[in-house]
Amino acid sequence: MSELGTAQRILLMRTGFVFLALFILFVHLLPLQTEPPVHFAPPDMLMLFAFAWAVRRPELVPSLLLAIIFLLADLLLQRPPGLWALLLLVSAERLKSQSLSLRDAGFFTEYLSVGALIVAVFVGYRVILGVMIVDLPPLGIWIVHMLMTLICYPIAVFVTHWVMGIRKYAPGDLGPGGLSA
Amino acid sequence: MARDRSQSVDYAGPLKRLTLAVLVIVLAGIFLIWRIDSPRMEQFRAQVTDRVVPNMDWAMKPVTGTVNLFRNYQSYQRLAEQNQELRRELRQMQAWKEAALQLEQENARLLDLNNVRLDPRLTYITGVVLADSGSPFRQSVLLNVGGRDGIVEGWATMDGIGLVGRVSGVAANTARVLLVTDASSRVPATVQPSGQRIIIAGDNSAAPPIDFLENPDLVRPGDRVVTSGDGGVFPAGLLVGQVAADPGGRLRVRLAADYERLEFLRVLRHYGTQQVTDTSGVVSPETLVQEAEPGQ
Repeated sequence: MSELGTAQRILLMRTGFVFLALFILFVHLLPLQTEPPVHFAPPDMLMLFAFAWAVRRPELVPSLLLAIIFLLADLLLQRPPGLWALLLLVSAERLKSQSLSLRDAGFFTEYLSVGALIVAVFVGYRVILGVMIVDLPPLGIWIVHMLMTLICYPIAVFVTHWVMGIRKYAPGDLGPGGLSA
Repeated sequence: MARDRSQSVDYAGPLKRLTLAVLVIVLAGIFLIWRIDSPRMEQFRAQVTDRVVPNMDWAMKPVTGTVNLFRNYQSYQRLAEQNQELRRELRQMQAWKEAALQLEQENARLLDLNNVRLDPRLTYITGVVLADSGSPFRQSVLLNVGGRDGIVEGWATMDGIGLVGRVSGVAANTARVLLVTDASSRVPATVQPSGQRIIIAGDNSAAPPIDFLENPDLVRPGDRVVTSGDGGVFPAGLLVGQVAADPGGRLRVRLAADYERLEFLRVLRHYGTQQVTDTSGVVSPETLVQEAEPGQ
């Protein structure tokens, strides 16, 4: 495979991620739920896909792209702009830096470290909002939201791995520069 | 070659670290600016929404329609039951209709007797719901009418029956309506027969609780709740819903508007109620003289 082909493929996959994010936002914005939820809150799929991609192919989700998408999501989904995006960006970067070691570990280890990050993001968000004296979302639904996000990570990984074909580098695979990694 | 490889594998390179630091500072800055100067940031949010969401509209309409079709299909299965129920309700409604017609005639006669002209400025603009808030923690909808159509922030929004919310955030082509159920929504209202003044304080549930009720004994479930016009944000007398008591004994408002299907909303043009600021002056001899003199 030539160098140019690889660069084009990376660009293509990044565009794919942008469209995936836009699709998730689109589903969120569909005017189907105009009543307040009683027990249920959907998982944050954008977060899960960003994490799943960051673990698998860090070069496909550069930090600038992630920051722009997360900020757009904050603005469109009526969250305080910047905070959720900041927490997600920092966690995604942490996963990227761990991706080398996570590559060799099994899915269970990956799930543990991603799960810990998800919990940290959800708790950190509430703590920072509390410190800044911003209205907090109701605790019950917030916990449901977090649990749903935790539960749905394997689904995001499944879709990323089998449907989109974004896989971890296996030993002897061609790396991002067309070299064996 | 070896250098190439180390660069591509080493993701914590100095340039990447610098980019990350800049991004973190920018995002934190945006959050702080929002915390300090929320209205300006919300205006920016409205502008961004105005750019992005109408572009999705062509795809949203059919998808929403299809999903609603399937939801309706589930209710077709209970068709016979519903038919019975509707017939019963129809019979009740006919009695109400008769009463309403009589009242309407009486009302028209009285208006005619008093030579009343209804305020022509009390008109409305109807908009279509483009999108919801997209988050389970915020209750708002986006309408396809905006500053271009003369929408002004703060105007009341209804769905033909009851109050839905207030306009909060206007861009050129879209306007956001903060629903009464949102946790940051407060609506001054009156409970009808007793005339008690209350605040309807949204708490992200389908039936917002009643706050600042002076005498709970005078209010009972089933009482009508209408806006009071206090604070000058809403016109007075818009139907909000009925009082209901939840299992815990707390009084809540069961909203009259159909929140399950918000599709078309009316934004009421409202130019503020006239405030009486000065106390009524006593007509004293001096002023009488002053006023009478020019006439002489």
